[in-house]
Amino acid sequence: MRKRIAFAAAAALAALAASAPAWAQGFKPTRPVEVVVHTGPGGGSDVLARAVALMMEKEKLLPVRMQVVNKTGGGGAVAAAYLAEKKGDQNTLGFFTGVWLAGPLTSAEAKVTLRDLTPIARLVLEPAVIAVKSDAPYKSLPEFIAAAKKSPGQLKQSGGSVTSRDNVVRQLLQKSTGAQWAFISFPGGGERIAALLGGHVNMMVIEPAEAGEHIRAGNMRVLAQVTDKRLPGFPNVPTLKEAGFDVPAVPQVRGVVAPPAIPRENVAYWEDVFHRLTKTASWQKFLADNQFEDGYQNAAELTRFYDEFTGRMRGILQEAGVKLVR
Amino acid sequence: MDILSGLMQGFAVALQPVNLLWCFVGVVLGTVVGVMPGLGPPATIAMLLPLTFLMNPAGAMIMLAGIYYGAKYGGSTTSILLNVPGESASVVTCLDGYAMARKGRAGAALGIAAIASFVAGTVGVLGLMLIAPPLAKVALAFSAPEYFSLMAFGLAMVVLLAGRSMLKALLAMLVGLWIAGIGTDPFSTTSRFTFGRLELLSGVDFVVVAIGVFALAEVLACMEGRAEGQALPVPKGLRNLLPTLQDLKDCRFAFVNGSVLGFLIGVLPGAGSTIASFISYGVEKAVSRRPQEFGKGAVEGVAAPEGANNSETGGALVPLLTLGIPGSGTTAVLLAALVLWGFKPGPLFISENPSLFWGLVASMYIGNVMLLVLNLPLVPLFAQVLRTPGFVLYPLILGISIVGVYSVSGSLFDVSLVVAFGLLGYLMRKLDYPAAPLVLGLVLGGAMERALRQSLMMSQGDLSILATRPICAVMLSLALLILLIPSFNKLNAWRLQALEE
Amino acid sequence: MRAGNADLWSGLALAALAGYIIVQASGWDYTGPDGPGAGFFPLWYGIAMAALSAALVASSVLRSAPESVDWRGAGRAFTVWLALALSVAAFKLVGFVIGFAALTFFMVVVMYRRPAVVAAVVAVALAAGFYVLFQRLLDVNLPCVWIFCPG
Repeated sequence: MRKRIAFAAAAALAALAASAPAWAQGFKPTRPVEVVVHTGPGGGSDVLARAVALMMEKEKLLPVRMQVVNKTGGGGAVAAAYLAEKKGDQNTLGFFTGVWLAGPLTSAEAKVTLRDLTPIARLVLEPAVIAVKSDAPYKSLPEFIAAAKKSPGQLKQSGGSVTSRDNVVRQLLQKSTGAQWAFISFPGGGERIAALLGGHVNMMVIEPAEAGEHIRAGNMRVLAQVTDKRLPGFPNVPTLKEAGFDVPAVPQVRGVVAPPAIPRENVAYWEDVFHRLTKTASWQKFLADNQFEDGYQNAAELTRFYDEFTGRMRGILQEAGVKLVR
Repeated sequence: MDILSGLMQGFAVALQPVNLLWCFVGVVLGTVVGVMPGLGPPATIAMLLPLTFLMNPAGAMIMLAGIYYGAKYGGSTTSILLNVPGESASVVTCLDGYAMARKGRAGAALGIAAIASFVAGTVGVLGLMLIAPPLAKVALAFSAPEYFSLMAFGLAMVVLLAGRSMLKALLAMLVGLWIAGIGTDPFSTTSRFTFGRLELLSGVDFVVVAIGVFALAEVLACMEGRAEGQALPVPKGLRNLLPTLQDLKDCRFAFVNGSVLGFLIGVLPGAGSTIASFISYGVEKAVSRRPQEFGKGAVEGVAAPEGANNSETGGALVPLLTLGIPGSGTTAVLLAALVLWGFKPGPLFISENPSLFWGLVASMYIGNVMLLVLNLPLVPLFAQVLRTPGFVLYPLILGISIVGVYSVSGSLFDVSLVVAFGLLGYLMRKLDYPAAPLVLGLVLGGAMERALRQSLMMSQGDLSILATRPICAVMLSLALLILLIPSFNKLNAWRLQALEE
Repeated sequence: MRAGNADLWSGLALAALAGYIIVQASGWDYTGPDGPGAGFFPLWYGIAMAALSAALVASSVLRSAPESVDWRGAGRAFTVWLALALSVAAFKLVGFVIGFAALTFFMVVVMYRRPAVVAAVVAVALAAGFYVLFQRLLDVNLPCVWIFCPG
C-alpha cells in the first residue's frame, strides 16, 4: 500500500515537473476576454471586434471567448477612460481607432492618450477613395482641384467631424495645391453618402467597401485612391501620388490596446495572438472582403507610429484653425 | 421584377415553416425588448448576430426585422400603463396613453395602440413594396436645409403642446434645446456645457431625460398622497378593456396620419421614429375637432404616434434596401448584419437578391398579423398589471428605470443623471411646466442646429438658401402657419366675444 | 406658496440659466471657418430664454389673482427622492442588488406603512427578480459588487 502511494506521489511530482515548462510560458486568459469598443452596436469598431471574436473562435487562437463591450461617448474618450481605470486587469482589451489618438488633442476632457494605456498591436489600415457623383464634370482629381481653384470655397465635401480623416485629407490637399473648398460635417455615414448622391455636395472621401455598391450601380465615380499602392478592387484608379499630389496617404488606423500596468509577458502573449491572427486565412479573407490593408505592427512599432501620427495631426489641426488643448 | 410575382416568391419564402418560426421568435423577442426601457433593438440584434450564422440568411433577416418592428409594439405597453417610455419613440404615447389609463381606460389605450400599429405597420410594408426605389430618389433631394425646415416644423408643434401657459411651454422647449447642446460640437470640436465631465462629451442621452422626466417624476408625484391600495384604476368592463367602435371611428384620420407621416419621415436618413411620432401627434391635434382633449386621454393621441413609429420601420428600410444607406441605429446594425453575411447592400441589392427582399417584405406582413394576434388578446392581461399594489409597483418602476438607463451605457453617471432629471420633472409638474416641449426641444434641438449650420456651410452663409429651395420653403411656411394658430384662436375668441356684446 | 411666487422663483432660476448660457456662448466662436460656430445657436436660444424668463417674472409680479401650488404632499415626494438619490450613490459601494433592496424596504416601510416583514419580502423579491432577469438571463450588467458580479 505504501509503495503505491509513494509511486502515485512520485508520478504526480513527475507530472508536475513535466508541466512546469507550460506554467513558465506564463499568462493565458481563463475568463472571457472583455473587448471594449467606442461605438454602439453596428458601428465600425463594434463590427471589427465581433468579426475578430468570431475568427479567434474559428481558428482556435484563444482558449476563451471574446465578449464585446460597448462604451460609447466622447469619440472614444469614455472607452479610453474605462480602460485606464482597469489598471492591471489582465482580461480586458480595447480596440482603438484614429479618433482615440486625435481626441485628446482637441478635447480637454479626453485625458487618456494611447501612451497612458498599453499598446498591443496595430491591425488594419483603412484606405479610402475620393469619389464624386457619376454625372459630375470631373474625371480626375486634378480636374476637381482645378475647378476648386477657379471658385474657391464654392465646391463642397461631405465628411465626418473636423478631426476625421476626411478633413485631414482635405487639409493636406488644400495646403499642397492652394485650392480651397468647403467641408460639411455629417454625423452619420449614411447621410454623407445621401448628400453626395443627392447632389448637395460635390465630393467625398469614402471607404472602398462603402462605395463599392454605388460604383457598381453607376452612381459614383472614383477619382483617386488615398493609398500608397493601388487596391486590388481599383486597378485603374491612380493613387494620390500617381495623380501628381505630394500628399501622404492618410489611413484610418485600427488596433488593440490594453489597460495600463500590464505585465510584460501578457503584452507578449497578446502580441503573439494577434500576430498569428493576421496570418490566418480567415483574416486574409476578412481584409479582402472589406478592402482593408494589413497594417500589423507590434507594440513597439505602434508606439512609434502613435508619436508620429499625433505630431502630424497637431500640425494639420493647427493649420485648419482648430484649437488644440494638448 | 414584377411586384405581384415578387410577392408570390416572397410568400413562398416567408411561409416556410422554419422562417415562420424565426418570424415568431423575432416579433416576440422584439415585443419583450420594447417593453423594457433602455434595452433596445440595436443592442439585441447585435447580441444575436453570432447566432444568425447558424441560420439561413432569409430566416435571420426575417427574425431581426421582427425584433425591429416588434419592439415598437412593446414600447407602448409600459408607456400607457406606467408612464415609462419603453422606447424613445413611445414618449409621445405616454402623453395621452397614460392619461387614458388614469381614467381607467388602459385596456382601450393598449388596444388602440396595437390596432394603430398594425394598420400603420402594414401600410409601411406596402410602401416599401410599392414605391421604395422612386421614393428613395426623392428622399435624396432632402438635405440639410430640408431637414432644418422639418425640425422647425416639428418645433412649431410646441405651440400645440402648450397647455395653459405658452410662456412656460416655450421655456421648457428652450431648456430642452440647451440639454441637446451639451456635448462636443462636431463642427469645431469645442466642448459645450460639459462642466469638465467626460461623460457629458457625447451629450445627455434622450432615454435618460425621458425616463427621468416622465417615469421618475410620476412616481414622485404618486408618493404625495397617503397612498393606499392600487395605483391606477383597473379597467372594468369590455368598454374599457378594449377600444370601442366609437374609439375606432374617432381614430380614422389618426390611422392614416400615423401611417403616412411615419413612413415618409422614416425614409429620410437621420430623421427617426421619435420625430415621426411627435409630428404625427402634432398634426393630429392640429386637425382635430376636439384639440383640448389631447393630453387628457384622447384616443387619437395614442393612435397617431403609435402608428407613426410603426410605419417608420417600413420607411427606414427603404434607404437601407434600395441604397444601402442606414437611416437609424437599428438599420445600421441591420446593415452590418447583411455585410457580415456576405451581402452587399446597395442600389443593386433588390434586383440581385429578390428572394431575400421579397421574403422579407412578405414576412413583415405576416409579422404584423402575428403581433396583432399576440397583442390584442393580451391587452386585458396587461391591464391587470395595474392591480399590483402601489407599494410593489412604484419600487418596481424605480428599478426598471435604473436598470433601463444603466443598460444603455453601463454608466452610473447616467443613473445619477436620471435621478436629477426625475427631480426636475417633478418640480416641473408642480410648477405647471409641461414636459412634452422639453422632450421635443431635446429631440429636435441637436438635429436642427446641425441642419442649420450644414445649410449655411452649403450656401456660404447665405440664409436665402432656406427660401429658395422649394421643399424647405414650403415646410418653413407651414411651420410659421402653425405658430400663428394660437393667434388665430385668440382673434377668433375676441371676434366671438365682440359679436356677443 | 402662491403661484405668483412660484413663477417668480422659477422665472428667476431660468433667467440665471439663460445668463450662464449667454456668458458661455460668448466665449465660443460666433462664426467658425466654415459657417456658424459653436457659440451661434446657444447665444440665440440663451437670449430667447432670458427674454421669456423676464416676461415670466414680470407676469408673476403683475398677476392679481394667483392660483396656489399645492405643496402638501411634496415633503413625502422629496423624501422618496432623497432615498433614491442616496441609494444610487451607494451603488458604487454595495452594488445594485443591495442598494435597490434597501430603497424598496425604505419605501414600503416608511411611505406605505406596511410591516417590516412585508417590506423585506417585497424588497428581496424585487431585487432578486431584477438580478435573475437581467444579470443572469439577459446578460445585461448591473452595477455590482462582490458575489453579484459576473464571472
